[in-house]
Amino acid sequence: MRQPSSIMGARGRVGGMTPFRAWLGESPLVSLVGVLILLFLVTGVVQPGFFSLNGIRNTLLQAAPLGILAAAQTVLMLTGGIDLSVTMIATAAAYVAANQSPHGASAAIIMGLLVGLIVGSLNGVGVTIFRVNPLIMTLAMSGILLGLFTAWTQTVLAGATQVAPFIKLLGGGAFLGSIPYSVLVWGVIALLLIWLLRRSGWGRLIYGIGDNEVAVQLAGVRVWQVRLSAYMLSGLLGAISGILLAGRTGAVDLQLADAFLLPSVAAAVIGGTSIFGGVGGYVGTILGALILSVLNSLLTFLNVGQAIQQVVYGIIVLSLAWGYARLTRQNST
Amino acid sequence: MTNAARMQPFRRRVRVRNGWTYGVWLLLGALLLWYSTLIPVFGPFQITSISKNSLPLVYLAVGQAIIVIAGGIDLSLGALLLLSNVIAAHFMQGQPVGIVAMIAVVLIAGLALLNALTGYVITRSGVPDIVVTLATSYIWSGLALWILPSPGGGTAPEMRWLFTGSISGISGSPWPPILMMLIPCAVVAIWARRARQGLTLYAIGSSKVAARLSGLDVRRARSVSYAIGGAMAALAGLATVAITGTGDPRFSVGSNATLNSVAAVVLGGIALTGGIGNLFGVVATAVILVILNPILIAMGVNSNNAQVIQGILIAGVMMVGGLVALLRERAS
Repeated sequence: MRQPSSIMGARGRVGGMTPFRAWLGESPLVSLVGVLILLFLVTGVVQPGFFSLNGIRNTLLQAAPLGILAAAQTVLMLTGGIDLSVTMIATAAAYVAANQSPHGASAAIIMGLLVGLIVGSLNGVGVTIFRVNPLIMTLAMSGILLGLFTAWTQTVLAGATQVAPFIKLLGGGAFLGSIPYSVLVWGVIALLLIWLLRRSGWGRLIYGIGDNEVAVQLAGVRVWQVRLSAYMLSGLLGAISGILLAGRTGAVDLQLADAFLLPSVAAAVIGGTSIFGGVGGYVGTILGALILSVLNSLLTFLNVGQAIQQVVYGIIVLSLAWGYARLTRQNST
Repeated sequence: MTNAARMQPFRRRVRVRNGWTYGVWLLLGALLLWYSTLIPVFGPFQITSISKNSLPLVYLAVGQAIIVIAGGIDLSLGALLLLSNVIAAHFMQGQPVGIVAMIAVVLIAGLALLNALTGYVITRSGVPDIVVTLATSYIWSGLALWILPSPGGGTAPEMRWLFTGSISGISGSPWPPILMMLIPCAVVAIWARRARQGLTLYAIGSSKVAARLSGLDVRRARSVSYAIGGAMAALAGLATVAITGTGDPRFSVGSNATLNSVAAVVLGGIALTGGIGNLFGVVATAVILVILNPILIAMGVNSNNAQVIQGILIAGVMMVGGLVALLRERAS
């Protein structure tokens, strides 16, 4: 298990680097915090109202669903997988939750989570037992879900598209007037996930499989079970995020979570999780999600139009990922 | 031993090695045959329509295939298609044929260079190809939206004839689209199999370390593979503007095209791990993915369910492939 944040080995001059540079390379999370603070300050200068409790709350409210989606991506990327259907799972779960809302919020949430669990399991079975490449499996799943739900919205799911009041409270409301509930949900998930990845046997296996699957298999682990559990967790997290998103917007449509696919992968990558598995952690991903959310606010405040916004977003994601790779010298050519 | 007897094992090896390619072409033939029984009239009109509508995906899939063979993947090809389509529609409208041809050539060369740059960034930065190309897909589709904020533009009639067989884009002779499909694909396929640089792509796709140790320039070869991908995406964009007569900057058009190109590549028997596969198989699977929709609609399935069936088919084929590999492993 290698986590950039916990490597505190030899300090000082490594290969001619200055001690400061070497220190940054050993604890890349510090530079992520630096980027976050810088972006935050720039945004504050552009839009003075951003430096308020309200501004911070809005940023967190945006970051929570993204952070949860990125959590799913982080766990899978640690095993060397990826889930490109996670945003479609979120949309599907939100749709089912909205449809079940007339039966009460708890039923709606449970049905929504069930959708995530089922789709996640299907992905997992395809990847682990039938050995389909995760990229292909989840792409195909995303297409299947989109087709199914486009058809179902006119037939079996034709009912409500408004979510229950409790879900609205959960997605957009605030606890004691200042801390959004969705951020609380995110916080609980984050603590659990960080604990699981760092301290539990399951977490060690996740890192182990991403690092060297054969070794883990030879050590007597049923690798397919661990992988399957990771995909199920990913589906579940996708569903939670979708329900929170639906709560924030109040109503659902089939493009609900579409825009989050690149950011969910990017948050994990910027946060230092390797797409090849075995390296990374959720703390970095949280910072990545916060950075992307502040960036999003900044681009919205600058009011440059959607086209330029997309271009700038792409360039910044690329340069952040590049900077991180340079700093930690993860070589992959 | 006679000459014929000596050829026997060679022929078997060729059959085994290209079995998947033969299989998908047989499947395409069977599907076409079936389609011709489903609809009342099957003549030149249908052949023109199938071949011209397949053009964008065929180009994109061949471009993706070259990149995947060299051990990469490019999720920005769809966005490059958008960019090419939009630039063509914006600048070609109302221009004489000479200028239109020049724009087309500049576009192909330009996007090849642009994507070569992406390939260079991937090899230099150490950022995974999936991440880099996801990011560039945002950049290119943002640019496309900036150039042409809403659908519009046009192109010269000669351009439309080249890709669709008629100057109005409706009906027309099947030969131009068929030739436009086969010539670029054959050039790329033969180059990949015969030229030194093409074989380098297969070599670095199977093992980057071995390729580097035998003195091949891995970085240059990867950039070349991305350049070809970019050029094919530019062609796909030109074909789109010729078929539809307009430019369309919608993000979803690009992302769908990317997904289909990856699906066609994988179904065409090219390993995502790189180094294995035949471009001719990819041409067949791209056409199959395009005709699947009209076939399902001719069968009375509605178009949403058609999308579901397509997804299940892709996942299903890959599952069968995985299962076969698993059983073979168990047996040995």
